[in-house]
Amino acid sequence: MRNRQATKLIFELSQDGRRGAKMPTCDVPRQDVSSLLPAAALSASPPPLPEVAEPDVVRHFTNLSTLNMSVDTHFYPLGSCTMKYNSKRNERLAALPGFSDIHPYQPDETIQGLLQLLYELQEMLAEISGLPAVSLQPAAGAHGELTALMVAAAHFRELGEVRTKVLAPDSAHGTNPASARMAGFDFVTIKSNADGNVDLEDLQAKLDDEVAVFMITNPNTLGLFDCQVNEIANIIHAKGGLIYLDGANMNAILGIARPGDFGADMMHFNPHKTFSGPHGSGGPGAGPICVAEKLGDYLPLPVVTKHDACYRLDFDRAKSIGRVRSFFGNVGVLVRAYCYLRTHGAEGLQQVAENAVLNANYLLSQVKHMLPVPQGDRCMHEFIATASELKKKKGVTAMDLAKRLLDFGFHAPTVYFPLTIAECMMIEPTETESKETLDAFAETLFRITDETKECLQEAPHSTLISRPDEVQAARVPTLKWTPESVHVTDK
Amino acid sequence: MAYFFNTPEDQRKMLEAIGAASIEELFELVPPELRLDRPLQMPPALGEMELTQHMSELASTNSHAGEQACFLGAGSYDHFVPAVVDAIASRGEFFTSYTPYQPEVSQGNLQVMFEYQTMICQLTGMDVSNASLYDGGSAAAEAVLMAMSVTRRDKKVVTTASVHPEYRQILETYFEGSGVELVTVDTTDGATQMEQLVAAVDDQTACVLIQQPNFFGCLEDLQAVSEVAHEAGALSVVSFDPISLGLLKRPGDLGADIAIAEGQVLGTPMQYGGPYLGIMACRESFVRRLPGRIAGETVDRHGRRCWVLTLQTREQHIRREKATSNICTNQGLFALRAAIYLSLLGPRGLRDTAELCLQKTHYAASQFSEQERFSLPFSRPTFKEFVVRDRDRNIADLLASAREVGYLAGVPLKRWYPELHDCFLVAVTEKRTKSQIDGLIRSLTNSNTTTAVAHA
Repeated sequence: MRNRQATKLIFELSQDGRRGAKMPTCDVPRQDVSSLLPAAALSASPPPLPEVAEPDVVRHFTNLSTLNMSVDTHFYPLGSCTMKYNSKRNERLAALPGFSDIHPYQPDETIQGLLQLLYELQEMLAEISGLPAVSLQPAAGAHGELTALMVAAAHFRELGEVRTKVLAPDSAHGTNPASARMAGFDFVTIKSNADGNVDLEDLQAKLDDEVAVFMITNPNTLGLFDCQVNEIANIIHAKGGLIYLDGANMNAILGIARPGDFGADMMHFNPHKTFSGPHGSGGPGAGPICVAEKLGDYLPLPVVTKHDACYRLDFDRAKSIGRVRSFFGNVGVLVRAYCYLRTHGAEGLQQVAENAVLNANYLLSQVKHMLPVPQGDRCMHEFIATASELKKKKGVTAMDLAKRLLDFGFHAPTVYFPLTIAECMMIEPTETESKETLDAFAETLFRITDETKECLQEAPHSTLISRPDEVQAARVPTLKWTPESVHVTDK
Repeated sequence: MAYFFNTPEDQRKMLEAIGAASIEELFELVPPELRLDRPLQMPPALGEMELTQHMSELASTNSHAGEQACFLGAGSYDHFVPAVVDAIASRGEFFTSYTPYQPEVSQGNLQVMFEYQTMICQLTGMDVSNASLYDGGSAAAEAVLMAMSVTRRDKKVVTTASVHPEYRQILETYFEGSGVELVTVDTTDGATQMEQLVAAVDDQTACVLIQQPNFFGCLEDLQAVSEVAHEAGALSVVSFDPISLGLLKRPGDLGADIAIAEGQVLGTPMQYGGPYLGIMACRESFVRRLPGRIAGETVDRHGRRCWVLTLQTREQHIRREKATSNICTNQGLFALRAAIYLSLLGPRGLRDTAELCLQKTHYAASQFSEQERFSLPFSRPTFKEFVVRDRDRNIADLLASAREVGYLAGVPLKRWYPELHDCFLVAVTEKRTKSQIDGLIRSLTNSNTTTAVAHA
């Protein structure tokens, strides 16, 4: 039974004088605050935060949690996000005080166990990527892209080469062009060909001596392994450029192929995708990068090094680009990634890729009878199905199908990405789902493609709310509650 | 294997449906010459029990704040985290969900984002907040980039030596090769030299980045700094300590145009530096240049109040190279923790926490100042940390000997400030007791470590 109080804002539960946490009495001789701090700096009253009791807080947020779909509760085939099972053991281990309760400026000799873990993680990522130099610092995949592009810029500065452009295909994640701009490059889009791979003619036409980096996602966002990757790398390398691999889709090739072996000079991992770090309703992620030997000197400070049996942070790196975030990095996410890798080992990682690809191909084989899969009968870890025909036939869209899936207890696939395919749904089942779940999803999709336009356009029907008015939200942004906020009727 | 479902029989049926003879065949898309022709060289797989034993062993070799009294600060602090924060944040419905792309099944996350944004505005006195960035340091960099975009000034940024040195290093990294000049104003007596600041800020300056309380724990004259910035048409970007706002005037009340913070102090464990919470709030007029996710209120088709991600035309997945930032994932889990923490504390809990930090810090500082070996180089008012000078100039041994008896005594400043090679930074949160503070002083004064010079 859903709690109807749940949708009240915490501010609407507030009552003057209530409080949830009581602080201890002061055990040092107390002085008048006004004698310690200048009057001009002191506020007359504390910030107007909500005043609620501890049970209020627990009930409020617990009820809110039940309004979410999550991997723990639902099939979540959100393409490109690799929403695989997040193991409970990793949570418990990352929460050990010997990992979670460490201050970032503790001296190296007090955290040898953690540094060993981080060092071994660097080694494992180097092995999986085929790229020997690793920085664990970037805070997210996009941050890893930015960091690597800064590394590339430093490399070309040292060579004295003026290279102003970064290229990526039109199917790339939006972060690629955005990172390129942030790193100070001009961004040039390369077309995809009819197969969904990089259009080599377009690449050749746009390639010149000013190209610093070609960014490629491989397997790409259409779920295909672009077999031209090595050829592309040769073309770019011949012009003196570098290849960046967006590692968002590494789940498909763990232990099967290594970016460093197929031409990449730099890449990032998304440990929150590939190595099962929980997505935390939007984050945290992490974005460790691996680069070729010749780029290793430019990596951010510090990296973990080992001398005899002693681990330490190495800050003594003259060519380093510096820092891209404070402290070491998203260590909590990295500890979980380490647990994941140690749980699987080499054979297990390969089985991750095999089962991820098997599940995706199986689901493709079931879905293609209802929705065309433009790229053909085979895929890697995810595939794109399109509702274009359905739209022509009865005017329903990929979004309508996505919304209707919610009614049946399935999170929707990614819709309308990549931008190169109309009415697309990007479906990534991951390896941690059963055939029964995939069958149930396919059967549901089959059932709903047959439903009436009216039913689909009004979907979802069974969720707490129906489709929100996003246009109004953007036109008159209400981004916070104020005491004057009018409470729209909660029907 | 740990988390797979597919039995050999499942695999057989699935391959049959696909029309493939083997799993191997599914990888035909990957040309053989591009494949790895050997197994990965990895340590052997561990079952849950072996992994637990291995991780416990690694963890046991690390000293931590549960067994050492932690007086380390410098941007990451050992504040108390109430049990409710962990209990709620470990609910799978929060931590195993993702960015709320489907609002109908993400109202919980979206409402938390909206409540978080509201609380950050209440806390800072700013108009609007995003739903989080990576950490305080990258938030500072994003804020400066945003200021450059708002003011259309891309030549010069002014900051001060009392801003967290790592935040300034991030800016240097971001600006390398871009032609932006980063001017760092000196400090005097632990705070920004105002004359030098006035001289540095001109009509080319995009913003002044200042920290309150600053890296040395001292209070800056925020109002005056903001006025200097505004007179030159520059923005005032303030990095604040959320806990301090239980007592101090809010950035929004002192002229800040963009306020950023390390939100770790609001219910997130230290975990060796991350993941943390980047807080960012600003004036309403800048909202379309604000990086990161933002939740907004709207109504559904039946007129019911609800929440959605909004103003997405700022973001990389829509705007690509024209986006305000490349940011995609944020720190939703820690925004949730902050919202729970701030709800539990409320206005009075926050004030009490801030006051405990203040009282204990001043008690600790007074105890240090009574010792012959130590002096306090700066006389300015401090909030929860302060700089101590060791007259014997032997900080490494001093801090090491304190560790042996259970105290993480302070952060040496030499790494960032060569002129403060004989100084360390001591932070005192509400968690530190009088007996720990007294013990810290004893451990440092009983230390046999004197200066190497004295031995010679």
